[in-house]
Amino acid sequence: MFVHRRRPWQIPESEATPEAAVLADAEARQGRATRRALLLGGGLLAGAGLSHGALAQGRDPMAWWEAQATNDPSRGLYPAARNGAYTLDRPLTEAREAIVYNNFYEFGSHKEIWRAAQRLETRPWTVTIDGLVATPRTVDIDTLLRLFPLEERLYRFRCVEAWAMAVPWTGFPLASLLRWAEPQAGAKYVLFRSFENRAIAPGFRQTWYPWPYTDAFTIEECGNELAFMATGIYGKPLPPQMGAPIRPIMPWKYGFKQPKSVVRISFVADRPVGFWERLQPSEYGFWANVNPAVPHPRWSQATERMLGTGERRPTLIWNGYGEQVAGLYRGLEHERLFA
Amino acid sequence: MQRFLRLLAGAVAALLLAAALWPAAREADAAASGAHAFIPLGQLWFELDPAGLNMAQAGIQRHIAPWLWEDLVQPVLELPAWPALVALGAALLLLRPGRSR
Repeated sequence: MFVHRRRPWQIPESEATPEAAVLADAEARQGRATRRALLLGGGLLAGAGLSHGALAQGRDPMAWWEAQATNDPSRGLYPAARNGAYTLDRPLTEAREAIVYNNFYEFGSHKEIWRAAQRLETRPWTVTIDGLVATPRTVDIDTLLRLFPLEERLYRFRCVEAWAMAVPWTGFPLASLLRWAEPQAGAKYVLFRSFENRAIAPGFRQTWYPWPYTDAFTIEECGNELAFMATGIYGKPLPPQMGAPIRPIMPWKYGFKQPKSVVRISFVADRPVGFWERLQPSEYGFWANVNPAVPHPRWSQATERMLGTGERRPTLIWNGYGEQVAGLYRGLEHERLFA
Repeated sequence: MQRFLRLLAGAVAALLLAAALWPAAREADAAASGAHAFIPLGQLWFELDPAGLNMAQAGIQRHIAPWLWEDLVQPVLELPAWPALVALGAALLLLRPGRSR
């Protein structure tokens, strides 16, 4: 009698790694259905007691990001030299913690955004500079990245949801971009517009929201030494969930004021109404500067929770950058500066 | 009890049908100016209570499951408002308990 005994290394066809799992990077840019197939594939493989580099890349955010950075055309620009003028009063947040706890409303309101945001294609990518400027132009991101020397800065980052992190952004001063754009005398505000692609982000199907995500700053705020155009973090190009390939960083303001994945920067005369101010003006205003004494209507801003450690720290007014920015707001005390 | 449920279903159906008039009238206005587009249910919710809509999404996606909003609630909110309200109201009228046969 012939008895077939399965050897330990023999696995049934049904447990074979799906192609989608092996091609994790490609999978990440496809729809949710494929993403679920990957997770299923991961479960099957784990059940077979095997490990696989591509699978790790598919499941582990750091490995995923590493693979993206390796393929990024701007990878040669990182890591940039650190600008020692910007120091922290707290330890850096672990990269692994910072890249998996994000808001990116176009992809949803949940905290699994890092997975959903992998659908964002960051090449080809252009940024249009228009409005009240000497010459409106559209520039390829890899050209833009080489117009200004990149540097690394350690900044505190404060979300309006009362969590915070301390991270090394890479990028260039927004003031350099302003000089290059040559704004006209009438330009008083700078409006940043995020990407809009219905095919990859479910939020855009909610047509009742004022897409694309936009927000604006005064031209004086943009010229402040702290105002930064971030293109990388932790010595690598930004991952999609953190606003790749380029976003403004104003570290004294709440995070929602800083649109991710910017495609257009417009110089305008009148104060624009940003995405959240349009949605809920009673909760979110134009200035949105950090202040522990001004609570959000639904929670306190007195303290903040550090990502990773969970440490609760007292919130600092202007997020600790008062020396550099408080002067911007003299004479504006009648405005709602902290919402 | 059955009579109460019948009355309740009838009242809710009447409310739904009446509510359908609001988006229908707006769409008719838009059509008259040559720019008709269906108004989705989510648009009505957003106009009535934007904070509530936002909190509902955040609550469901953060505390239950992201897919529940994305795959179940959001597709319902994307439905054209007045046909959805009329269909729901009509279904309630037809299915209310104790309806004479």
